[in-house]
Amino acid sequence: MNGKNIVSDGMSAPRKKNRIPVLAMAGPVSVWMVLFVALPMLYVIYISFMSRGVFGDVVYEFSLESYQTILDPTYFKVVLKSLKAAGITTVACLLFGYPLAYIIARKPKETAAKLVTLIMIPFWTNSLMRLNSWLLLFQTSGPVNNFLTGHGLVREPITFVYTDGLVMLGLITNMLPFAVLPLYSTIEKLEKSLLEASADLGADAVTTFTRITLPITFPGIFSAIILVFIPSLGIYTVTDMLGGGKVLYIGNIIKNQFGSIRNWPLGAALSVLLILVTMLLIFIYTRFAKIDDMEVV
Amino acid sequence: MKKTWTAVLLTGALALTLAACGTGSSSDSGAGSAEASAGTTSTQAEASADAGSTELNIYMWQQYISDDLIANFEKENNCTINLSYMSDNADAINKLTAGGGDEYDLIMTCDAYMESLIAGGYVQEINLDNVPNSANLNDTYWVSKGYCVPYLMNYIYVVYDSETCPVEITCYNDLLDPSLAGKISTIDGARNLFPIALIALGYDPNSTEESEIAEAYEWLVQFNANVVAYGNAEQNLTNGTASVAITYDGNASWAMAEKDTIRIADFTDDAIQLGIDLYVIPTGAKHIDLAEKFLDYICTPEVMAANLDEFPYSCPNDAAVEVASDSYKSDPARDFSYKENVFFQEDVGEALTIYNDYYQKLKVGE
Repeated sequence: MNGKNIVSDGMSAPRKKNRIPVLAMAGPVSVWMVLFVALPMLYVIYISFMSRGVFGDVVYEFSLESYQTILDPTYFKVVLKSLKAAGITTVACLLFGYPLAYIIARKPKETAAKLVTLIMIPFWTNSLMRLNSWLLLFQTSGPVNNFLTGHGLVREPITFVYTDGLVMLGLITNMLPFAVLPLYSTIEKLEKSLLEASADLGADAVTTFTRITLPITFPGIFSAIILVFIPSLGIYTVTDMLGGGKVLYIGNIIKNQFGSIRNWPLGAALSVLLILVTMLLIFIYTRFAKIDDMEVV
Repeated sequence: MKKTWTAVLLTGALALTLAACGTGSSSDSGAGSAEASAGTTSTQAEASADAGSTELNIYMWQQYISDDLIANFEKENNCTINLSYMSDNADAINKLTAGGGDEYDLIMTCDAYMESLIAGGYVQEINLDNVPNSANLNDTYWVSKGYCVPYLMNYIYVVYDSETCPVEITCYNDLLDPSLAGKISTIDGARNLFPIALIALGYDPNSTEESEIAEAYEWLVQFNANVVAYGNAEQNLTNGTASVAITYDGNASWAMAEKDTIRIADFTDDAIQLGIDLYVIPTGAKHIDLAEKFLDYICTPEVMAANLDEFPYSCPNDAAVEVASDSYKSDPARDFSYKENVFFQEDVGEALTIYNDYYQKLKVGE
């Protein structure tokens, strides 16, 4: 965003010599963005309006078929299901993440830093490893089932793996830090004096929370929503590994179109849909959260 | 403080993106191709042969060839082999047809795609005079001879755990038994599963009739209700997640070696699928001389026999099977009495799109 402002300021500047430093500063970034963001995105949009060849190659004939296919109830259902899963993940991450971030933010600085590091440590391991360990833990002959059957809690081992439940667990554990960190940074800013003032004026804990804490930390909440919702909408490794190819979200469908099913235009059209959803969210964000508080994203 | 968190978050987000892009990564180390041709005293008259190549780029399945074999070939020929791996048959077809095939000297694909690949001019003719050991290959399993060299074969078996499987399985229709709900683990892929459904319905396993494929889809919808997972079939059988698995013969061997209650279903009538994994030389390949040497090397009986110990799949190389170890020869996955009753995956041409669309619908529909 800042880069854009600088460029437009530069354009409107009266004297020509002012442009050189502006170009030097914003030029490389702009070139980078055009080459690696704008052009690929335009290419995806272009492909989505083409047709598919027998061999899965792209035939360069205009066609709206891919977009018609998305509206087909089966695909539309997947889109809705993905939105729902991403929504549940986001809500769960907020419900777990907010109290966690609050507790961390109220600790002394050094303890807080250590706690945040603890949250990050699992991310030093490859995500595929972490997903595999969920599978090992929960498989039919795994430790969880062995514990349950061994203590007579259940008679037959429970099928945890390859279910929507395990996929949700995978998504939530993968995304939690992306909620905790922005929440932490806004809650940390919260002035204690405000809370004391609120209490002095007779507000109880609930009122203080809903009238003071929540509104002030709202930008953090919104950042958390965006940082969790968008990746969990597109991520397909979690569903691929924990869903056993039976739980399919939009990310898996896109991946399949470019892989085994080989319908690139449809994959591109679905990607365009994802891009639109993402842009809509960012638009809402810039509209309703104050730009000043966007630092986290 | 805030800046730090922003950085941490961005790094995390980047890592996540990279992880998501991780499939199908290649390990090839670029192409320094022409350097080797300098100063050779070439005896080969072939126009395209780049005599004295020191680099060979192969694209194939992971976990499918012995590291020793690769190392020995490198040593004997003073060259480097760059192996890159595919995660789906379609990856190889993508490489060959969507451009980029010429980055490789050998690409593994299967018999079902050969006709179209030859017709499309995506693969080169192989000079079999330079691959004398290919005479060991059984012609029965050698489709499109002259354009490919078969490597290993896969029967697609139905295997089950005799301890946990509630029904006796003697035909594909038994897989629809409601008592198997959530107990089947299977390999993935439209062209692996549709033929099973078509056979169960009494149709040609390589049908190109949309009405038959649609019926097969309905069959697979019922089948899908019993499936617990697609992929990792034999692992899910040995770890108890599934009690029936549809998997390749080599994977069946591993499963049976790991757990002695696992058996191959004794089919009475239904034919089983035999797929042949083979190497092709993509059009535009740069190290044809070395590619042919490699093909000849893997057709050497002793070399292949050693490879079979590590990868106990069926093998079209009769001479290699003859000198293979006893454990390979006595493996129940080899000694299957219905081996005669097999069918091959054929190139279904444009009908592939119909198969793929129905398969996508199957996976999406639940």
